[in-house]
Amino acid sequence: MSTIVPTAEPSDETLAARAAAGDDSAFEAIVGRYQARVFRLACRLTSDTDAPDVLQETFLQVYRHLSSFRGESQFGTWVYRIASNAALMHRRARARRPAESLEVFLPRFDAQGKHVATPAELQVASRADELLDRQVLAEKARDVIARLPDLYRDAFVLRDLEEMSTADVARALDVEPATVRQRVHRARLMLRGYLSDLAGGQP
Amino acid sequence: MKEIACVSGVGLLMDYLEGVLPADLHAALEAHVAGCPRCAAFVASYRDTPRILREATEASLPADVEASLEAFLSARTSAFKSS
Repeated sequence: MSTIVPTAEPSDETLAARAAAGDDSAFEAIVGRYQARVFRLACRLTSDTDAPDVLQETFLQVYRHLSSFRGESQFGTWVYRIASNAALMHRRARARRPAESLEVFLPRFDAQGKHVATPAELQVASRADELLDRQVLAEKARDVIARLPDLYRDAFVLRDLEEMSTADVARALDVEPATVRQRVHRARLMLRGYLSDLAGGQP
Repeated sequence: MKEIACVSGVGLLMDYLEGVLPADLHAALEAHVAGCPRCAAFVASYRDTPRILREATEASLPADVEASLEAFLSARTSAFKSS
Protein backbone atom coordinates (compact mmCIF):
# COMPACT_ATOMS: atom_id res chain seq x y z
CA MET A 1 0.00 0.00 0.00
CA SER A 2 1.39 3.34 -0.93
CA THR A 3 1.51 6.14 1.59
CA ILE A 4 0.75 9.66 0.61
CA VAL A 5 3.30 11.92 2.18
CA PRO A 6 1.95 15.44 2.57
CA THR A 7 4.18 17.98 0.94
CA ALA A 8 4.91 21.14 2.85
CA GLU A 9 3.58 24.35 1.40
CA PRO A 10 6.37 26.32 -0.25
CA SER A 11 7.51 29.35 1.73
CA ASP A 12 6.67 32.86 0.61
CA GLU A 13 10.30 33.38 -0.30
CA THR A 14 10.33 30.24 -2.48
CA LEU A 15 7.18 31.35 -4.26
CA ALA A 16 8.60 34.85 -4.72
CA ALA A 17 11.76 33.47 -6.32
CA ARG A 18 9.73 31.23 -8.63
CA ALA A 19 7.37 34.06 -9.55
CA ALA A 20 10.30 36.38 -10.24
CA ALA A 21 11.65 33.73 -12.61
CA GLY A 22 8.38 33.82 -14.56
CA ASP A 23 6.32 31.11 -12.88
CA ASP A 24 2.77 32.49 -13.08
CA SER A 25 1.35 29.80 -10.82
CA ALA A 26 3.74 30.91 -8.07
CA PHE A 27 2.53 34.49 -8.40
CA GLU A 28 -1.07 33.31 -8.29
CA ALA A 29 -0.26 31.43 -5.09
CA ILE A 30 1.21 34.60 -3.58
CA VAL A 31 -1.94 36.53 -4.51
CA GLY A 32 -4.07 33.77 -3.01
CA ARG A 33 -2.12 33.90 0.22
CA TYR A 34 -2.18 37.64 0.69
CA GLN A 35 -5.23 39.06 -1.08
CA ALA A 36 -7.60 38.86 1.90
CA ARG A 37 -5.05 40.41 4.27
CA VAL A 38 -4.13 43.18 1.84
CA PHE A 39 -7.81 43.93 1.23
CA ARG A 40 -8.47 44.21 4.97
CA LEU A 41 -5.44 46.45 5.37
CA ALA A 42 -6.58 48.59 2.43
CA CYS A 43 -10.03 48.98 4.00
CA ARG A 44 -8.43 50.11 7.23
CA LEU A 45 -6.00 52.52 5.56
CA THR A 46 -8.43 53.97 3.01
CA SER A 47 -12.10 53.02 2.75
CA ASP A 48 -14.28 50.15 1.58
CA THR A 49 -14.80 52.07 -1.65
CA ASP A 50 -11.12 52.66 -2.36
CA ALA A 51 -9.81 49.33 -1.07
CA PRO A 52 -10.35 47.37 -4.34
CA ASP A 53 -8.15 49.86 -6.22
CA VAL A 54 -5.46 49.72 -3.56
CA LEU A 55 -5.62 45.92 -3.67
CA GLN A 56 -5.05 45.88 -7.43
CA GLU A 57 -2.28 48.44 -7.30
CA THR A 58 -0.53 46.56 -4.51
CA PHE A 59 -0.34 43.27 -6.38
CA LEU A 60 0.67 44.97 -9.60
CA GLN A 61 3.56 46.57 -7.71
CA VAL A 62 4.40 43.27 -6.04
CA TYR A 63 4.54 41.62 -9.47
CA ARG A 64 6.67 44.35 -10.98
CA HIS A 65 9.15 44.41 -8.12
CA LEU A 66 9.43 40.73 -7.27
CA SER A 67 12.95 40.61 -8.65
CA SER A 68 14.01 43.37 -6.25
CA PHE A 69 12.81 41.48 -3.15
CA ARG A 70 16.06 40.69 -1.35
CA GLY A 71 14.74 38.86 1.66
CA GLU A 72 16.00 41.55 4.05
CA SER A 73 12.60 41.50 5.71
CA GLN A 74 9.90 38.84 5.71
CA PHE A 75 8.00 38.67 2.45
CA GLY A 76 4.75 39.58 4.21
CA THR A 77 6.33 42.72 5.67
CA TRP A 78 7.50 43.68 2.19
CA VAL A 79 3.98 43.19 0.79
CA TYR A 80 2.50 45.28 3.62
CA ARG A 81 5.01 48.01 2.90
CA ILE A 82 3.91 48.12 -0.73
CA ALA A 83 0.25 48.10 0.31
CA SER A 84 0.81 50.93 2.81
CA ASN A 85 2.48 53.04 0.14
CA ALA A 86 -0.28 52.27 -2.36
CA ALA A 87 -2.88 53.35 0.21
CA LEU A 88 -0.94 56.53 0.92
CA MET A 89 -0.73 57.38 -2.79
CA HIS A 90 -4.43 56.77 -3.07
CA ARG A 91 -5.25 59.06 -0.18
CA ARG A 92 -3.04 61.81 -1.58
CA ALA A 93 -4.70 61.53 -4.96
CA ARG A 94 -8.03 62.29 -3.37
CA ALA A 95 -8.67 65.94 -2.66
CA ARG A 96 -10.01 65.70 0.85
CA ARG A 97 -10.89 68.51 3.14
CA PRO A 98 -8.60 68.57 6.19
CA ALA A 99 -9.82 66.11 8.80
CA GLU A 100 -11.10 67.55 12.05
CA SER A 101 -8.42 67.18 14.71
CA LEU A 102 -8.71 64.39 17.25
CA GLU A 103 -6.65 66.28 19.84
CA VAL A 104 -9.85 67.01 21.73
CA PHE A 105 -9.98 63.33 22.69
CA LEU A 106 -6.59 63.30 24.43
CA PRO A 107 -6.75 62.67 28.19
CA ARG A 108 -7.13 65.69 30.45
CA PHE A 109 -5.20 66.39 33.62
CA ASP A 110 -5.49 68.96 36.41
CA ALA A 111 -2.72 71.26 37.61
CA GLN A 112 -1.22 68.45 39.70
CA GLY A 113 -1.07 66.16 36.68
CA LYS A 114 -3.97 64.01 37.91
CA HIS A 115 -6.72 62.66 35.63
CA VAL A 116 -9.72 64.98 35.57
CA ALA A 117 -12.18 62.17 34.81
CA THR A 118 -13.31 59.66 37.42
CA PRO A 119 -12.33 55.96 37.25
CA ALA A 120 -15.84 55.09 36.08
CA GLU A 121 -15.67 57.67 33.29
CA LEU A 122 -12.20 56.52 32.27
CA GLN A 123 -13.35 52.90 32.13
CA VAL A 124 -16.18 53.50 29.66
CA ALA A 125 -13.99 53.16 26.54
CA SER A 126 -13.34 49.52 27.48
CA ARG A 127 -17.04 48.82 27.11
CA ALA A 128 -17.62 50.67 23.84
CA ASP A 129 -18.24 47.39 22.04
CA GLU A 130 -20.91 46.41 24.59
CA LEU A 131 -22.56 49.80 24.77
CA LEU A 132 -22.75 50.61 21.07
CA ASP A 133 -24.59 49.00 18.20
CA ARG A 134 -22.18 46.83 16.25
CA GLN A 135 -22.89 48.46 12.88
CA VAL A 136 -22.65 51.96 14.33
CA LEU A 137 -19.33 51.11 15.97
CA ALA A 138 -17.99 49.67 12.70
CA GLU A 139 -18.87 52.86 10.80
CA LYS A 140 -17.56 55.17 13.50
CA ALA A 141 -14.36 53.14 13.81
CA ARG A 142 -13.60 53.48 10.09
CA ASP A 143 -14.42 57.18 10.17
CA VAL A 144 -12.21 57.96 13.13
CA ILE A 145 -9.26 55.92 11.84
CA ALA A 146 -9.54 57.87 8.58
CA ARG A 147 -9.34 61.08 10.60
CA LEU A 148 -6.00 60.19 12.16
CA PRO A 149 -3.00 62.00 10.72
CA ASP A 150 -1.36 59.79 8.06
CA LEU A 151 1.73 59.03 10.14
CA TYR A 152 -0.30 57.89 13.13
CA ARG A 153 -2.81 55.94 11.07
CA ASP A 154 -0.25 53.85 9.21
CA ALA A 155 1.62 52.94 12.38
CA PHE A 156 -1.56 52.22 14.36
CA VAL A 157 -3.20 50.13 11.65
CA LEU A 158 -0.12 47.99 11.04
CA ARG A 159 0.81 47.59 14.71
CA ASP A 160 -2.53 47.38 16.46
CA LEU A 161 -5.05 46.29 13.85
CA GLU A 162 -2.89 44.03 11.69
CA GLU A 163 -0.94 42.98 14.80
CA MET A 164 2.49 43.22 13.24
CA SER A 165 5.45 43.46 15.61
CA THR A 166 6.83 46.93 16.26
CA ALA A 167 10.08 45.87 14.58
CA ASP A 168 8.22 44.78 11.42
CA VAL A 169 6.18 47.98 11.34
CA ALA A 170 9.41 49.95 11.65
CA ARG A 171 10.81 48.06 8.65
CA ALA A 172 7.59 48.50 6.66
CA LEU A 173 7.47 52.25 7.32
CA ASP A 174 11.25 52.74 7.23
CA VAL A 175 11.43 54.41 10.64
CA GLU A 176 12.93 53.54 14.02
CA PRO A 177 10.96 51.29 16.42
CA ALA A 178 10.83 54.16 18.94
CA THR A 179 9.09 56.29 16.31
CA VAL A 180 6.53 53.54 15.74
CA ARG A 181 5.85 53.34 19.47
CA GLN A 182 5.44 57.10 19.71
CA ARG A 183 3.00 57.24 16.78
CA VAL A 184 0.98 54.23 17.93
CA HIS A 185 0.80 55.67 21.44
CA ARG A 186 -0.50 59.00 20.18
CA ALA A 187 -3.07 57.25 17.99
CA ARG A 188 -4.20 55.02 20.87
CA LEU A 189 -4.70 58.02 23.15
CA MET A 190 -6.88 59.78 20.60
CA LEU A 191 -8.85 56.68 19.68
CA ARG A 192 -9.34 55.65 23.30
CA GLY A 193 -10.73 59.11 24.04
CA TYR A 194 -12.94 58.95 20.97
CA LEU A 195 -14.39 55.57 22.00
CA SER A 196 -14.98 56.91 25.48
CA ASP A 197 -16.79 59.96 24.14
CA LEU A 198 -18.83 57.82 21.78
CA ALA A 199 -19.91 55.54 24.61
CA GLY A 200 -20.76 58.40 26.98
CA GLY A 201 -17.54 58.63 29.01
CA GLN A 202 -14.72 61.14 29.31
CA PRO A 203 -11.29 61.23 27.63
CA MET B 1 11.43 54.86 44.54
CA LYS B 2 10.70 57.57 42.01
CA GLU B 3 7.13 58.90 42.25
CA ILE B 4 5.18 59.86 39.15
CA ALA B 5 1.91 61.64 38.42
CA CYS B 6 -0.91 60.39 36.20
CA VAL B 7 0.17 62.61 33.31
CA SER B 8 3.72 61.22 33.33
CA GLY B 9 2.45 57.66 33.67
CA VAL B 10 0.22 58.00 30.61
CA GLY B 11 3.23 59.15 28.61
CA LEU B 12 5.07 55.94 29.51
CA LEU B 13 2.30 53.45 28.75
CA MET B 14 3.31 52.32 25.29
CA ASP B 15 6.93 51.71 26.27
CA TYR B 16 5.71 49.96 29.43
CA LEU B 17 3.43 47.60 27.54
CA GLU B 18 6.15 46.92 24.96
CA GLY B 19 8.61 46.07 27.71
CA VAL B 20 11.17 48.70 26.76
CA LEU B 21 10.81 50.97 29.76
CA PRO B 22 13.90 51.28 32.03
CA ALA B 23 13.50 49.23 35.22
CA ASP B 24 13.19 52.22 37.57
CA LEU B 25 10.40 53.81 35.52
CA HIS B 26 8.71 50.44 35.05
CA ALA B 27 8.58 49.95 38.83
CA ALA B 28 7.47 53.54 39.43
CA LEU B 29 4.64 53.24 36.91
CA GLU B 30 3.42 49.94 38.35
CA ALA B 31 3.47 51.40 41.86
CA HIS B 32 1.51 54.44 40.72
CA VAL B 33 -1.12 52.45 38.83
CA ALA B 34 -1.55 50.06 41.77
CA GLY B 35 -2.49 53.01 43.99
CA CYS B 36 -4.43 55.11 41.48
CA PRO B 37 -7.92 53.89 40.45
CA ARG B 38 -8.04 56.52 37.69
CA CYS B 39 -4.87 55.24 36.08
CA ALA B 40 -5.92 51.62 36.55
CA ALA B 41 -9.11 52.40 34.62
CA PHE B 42 -7.20 54.39 32.03
CA VAL B 43 -4.64 51.62 31.44
CA ALA B 44 -7.40 49.04 31.01
CA SER B 45 -9.19 51.12 28.40
CA TYR B 46 -5.89 52.00 26.68
CA ARG B 47 -5.17 48.27 26.33
CA ASP B 48 -8.69 47.49 25.14
CA THR B 49 -8.78 50.17 22.44
CA PRO B 50 -6.82 48.22 19.77
CA ARG B 51 -8.94 45.11 20.28
CA ILE B 52 -12.23 46.97 20.02
CA LEU B 53 -11.18 48.78 16.85
CA ARG B 54 -9.63 45.63 15.34
CA GLU B 55 -12.85 43.71 15.78
CA ALA B 56 -14.94 46.64 14.53
CA THR B 57 -12.91 46.98 11.32
CA GLU B 58 -12.67 43.34 10.29
CA ALA B 59 -13.25 42.98 6.56
CA SER B 60 -13.46 39.94 4.32
CA LEU B 61 -12.64 39.93 0.65
CA PRO B 62 -15.86 40.03 -1.42
CA ALA B 63 -16.02 37.52 -4.27
CA ASP B 64 -16.52 40.24 -6.89
CA VAL B 65 -13.44 42.13 -5.68
CA GLU B 66 -11.43 38.92 -5.85
CA ALA B 67 -12.66 38.25 -9.39
CA SER B 68 -11.81 41.81 -10.44
CA LEU B 69 -8.33 41.45 -9.01
CA GLU B 70 -7.77 38.24 -10.92
CA ALA B 71 -8.95 39.79 -14.19
CA PHE B 72 -6.91 42.94 -13.58
CA LEU B 73 -3.71 41.04 -12.84
CA SER B 74 -4.23 38.68 -15.72
CA ALA B 75 -4.49 41.59 -18.15
CA ARG B 76 -1.80 43.74 -16.61
CA THR B 77 0.83 41.08 -16.02
CA SER B 78 0.45 39.82 -19.59
CA ALA B 79 0.92 43.39 -20.77
CA PHE B 80 3.89 43.75 -18.46
CA LYS B 81 5.57 40.61 -19.77
CA SER B 82 5.10 41.62 -23.40
CA SER B 83 6.32 45.21 -22.85
